[in-house]
Amino acid sequence: MYYLGVDVGSVSTDLVILDNSMNVIEKIYLRTRGNPINAIQEGFKILKNKYKGIEIKGAGTTGSGRQIASTIIGADTVKNEITAHAVAALDKNKNVRTIIEIGGQDSKIIVIKNGVVSDFAMNTVCAAGTGSFLDRQAERLEIPIEEFGDYALKANTSVRIAGRCAVFAESDMIHKQQLGYNKCEIIRGLCDALVRNYLNNIGKGKEIQPIVFFQGGVAANKGMKDAFENALGFEVYVPDNYGMMGAIGAAIIAKSYSEKAKKTKFKGFEISDSDIKSKSHECEGCSNKCEVVKIYENNNIIGYFGDRCGKWSNKLIKINENLLA
Amino acid sequence: MKVTFPQMGNIYLAAKVLCEGLGIEYVIPPQNSRNALNIGSLHSPEEMCLPFKIMIGNYIQAIKQGADTVILTGSCGPCRFGEYCELQMNLLKKLGYNLEFIVIDMPKDIGIKELYKRITRFSLNSKKSKYKKTKALLDAIKVMNLMDDIEASAHNLAGYEKIKGNCKSLLNNCKTDALKCKSPLEMINLLIDYKHKINHISIDINKNPLKVAIIGEIYTVIEPFSNLCIEDKLMDYGVSTKRKLTPSWWIKNTALSPTKLNSIDIKKGSKEYLPLYIGGHARECIGEAVLAYEDNFDGAIQIFPMGCMPEIVSKSILPTISKDKDFPIMSLVVDEMTGEAGYITRIEAFIDLLERRQKDVLLRC
Repeated sequence: MYYLGVDVGSVSTDLVILDNSMNVIEKIYLRTRGNPINAIQEGFKILKNKYKGIEIKGAGTTGSGRQIASTIIGADTVKNEITAHAVAALDKNKNVRTIIEIGGQDSKIIVIKNGVVSDFAMNTVCAAGTGSFLDRQAERLEIPIEEFGDYALKANTSVRIAGRCAVFAESDMIHKQQLGYNKCEIIRGLCDALVRNYLNNIGKGKEIQPIVFFQGGVAANKGMKDAFENALGFEVYVPDNYGMMGAIGAAIIAKSYSEKAKKTKFKGFEISDSDIKSKSHECEGCSNKCEVVKIYENNNIIGYFGDRCGKWSNKLIKINENLLA
Repeated sequence: MKVTFPQMGNIYLAAKVLCEGLGIEYVIPPQNSRNALNIGSLHSPEEMCLPFKIMIGNYIQAIKQGADTVILTGSCGPCRFGEYCELQMNLLKKLGYNLEFIVIDMPKDIGIKELYKRITRFSLNSKKSKYKKTKALLDAIKVMNLMDDIEASAHNLAGYEKIKGNCKSLLNNCKTDALKCKSPLEMINLLIDYKHKINHISIDINKNPLKVAIIGEIYTVIEPFSNLCIEDKLMDYGVSTKRKLTPSWWIKNTALSPTKLNSIDIKKGSKEYLPLYIGGHARECIGEAVLAYEDNFDGAIQIFPMGCMPEIVSKSILPTISKDKDFPIMSLVVDEMTGEAGYITRIEAFIDLLERRQKDVLLRC
């Protein structure tokens, strides 16, 4: 019995397959590249070839693209990233108190008390200090993102970089380069600045107590882990599948649901061969003028998004009901 | 004279009744939409807060329908809302529109004489008798109270309803029907009828839904477009919500403020954390958070526009309340965004958190 978890984020689309005892038996990391539908299909193609005939007992989606992903794959559960990350971390270690999660667009803090999420925060209107920004800096400095953290660890001193705003940080870094600092020092300074930003912005007013888990794509960056440990004064753990925790959480949630429901809506890996398209139009029904998106699979409509009143999305529920009747 | 006013929640219904009662020509700007926001943000200063931008959009849309006078409430408080009218007048003048502004302000700020002068400027165009004018005003207040009552009931009962979506559709029908009414009396009767209907919706009293208080900056909590329809979303999730700040609350609060008998409960609630008025509705926000805790709510959501000074102050106080009372409070900052994915994630995660505090289960998967 296997369970599938799909996490469609702004930068990456992750797929995991878990076995019955929640061990990760397969993980796939793909770049979303602004096209979640393509990324999901690409992932499913790989899975289809590798796992012919295995039975998926439940499928769950998470991430900012969870709705569209759930429509395409026929998910049993659709959960937000915060819950998914917390579920995955608690499955690893029941004593986790704090989760630091930094992804492509969002950074989050999740505070856990007695095994239940008791508080959380997400960046509000600014994405300075997230994965996309680090990506862009790595590209600008012509360093592979995988080695970015190692550079930080090589530095002897840290250069002060403005961390409040990505645009300020970048120009500050450029000025420091012109002053003659080497790349290592600047990268370490950047990691320190981002951690400072995180603790002041997201972590403000929250108690960060050990055990702390550091999850999300940015956890790959050793410089960031080091900077967090320096700032907090205790060890920060990066779990094995740090980048896949959202997808793992989604799969665990799907398991607990489908065990109760004893059935799954999962459509199978074959959808990688389907022709999935999306079309959008402005609804003229009322003054809200919602932008409605239709998702087609082989010319059949499988989903509507974006309508406030339910005029379109309810239509689909009716069609489904008729099919069942 | 053809008057108009900015869109804000259900105020347009009361304004319609008032203008009809006075026999004044009026224009209701189109409901807030991306279109209004686009026009507004094109012409407004970039760092300005969201309500200003949407209002500019409202005015320009109304001008195209022939409006030449704007009625606006004012404030001489430290929040930048106090400068809205001046800025908006200048901005519209630069764009080549000649618009008259009538700013209704508190008597303690502008003096009773000046207030009277402004009100007469507005009602001068009405040929009705003094009695009829007073009646028009009272009718408008009545409509506002009724509408706020209906809305509050719908938001509260959404957590208990037997047939999902009943409250929401009834509320939506009520608003559409009210706009079609031809006379103040017709609208009042219709609203009384709807009030009866909504209070007799079939409910399951044994349900124990999550109860969430909506607190924060008055414009963004009242105007659904600006907060990406948070109350509708919470109704869909089957959450009971309560919001203290309404147009009728504002009128009552303003009328009572000279006697200092306004919002005594809020003042008492906020005493420990923010005993001063710092402008805007920061004190109300803090007071309501404390009251929500005392009324056994499960949590509170604060909404405010980016850059709102009073609410930033309350945002920094809220974590202390949250910690002291073990009461979850989430802050949402709204700006020109209409992509809702991140916003929904935050709301869903907050609801999950509250639910799991109640009972450690995964509901609504």
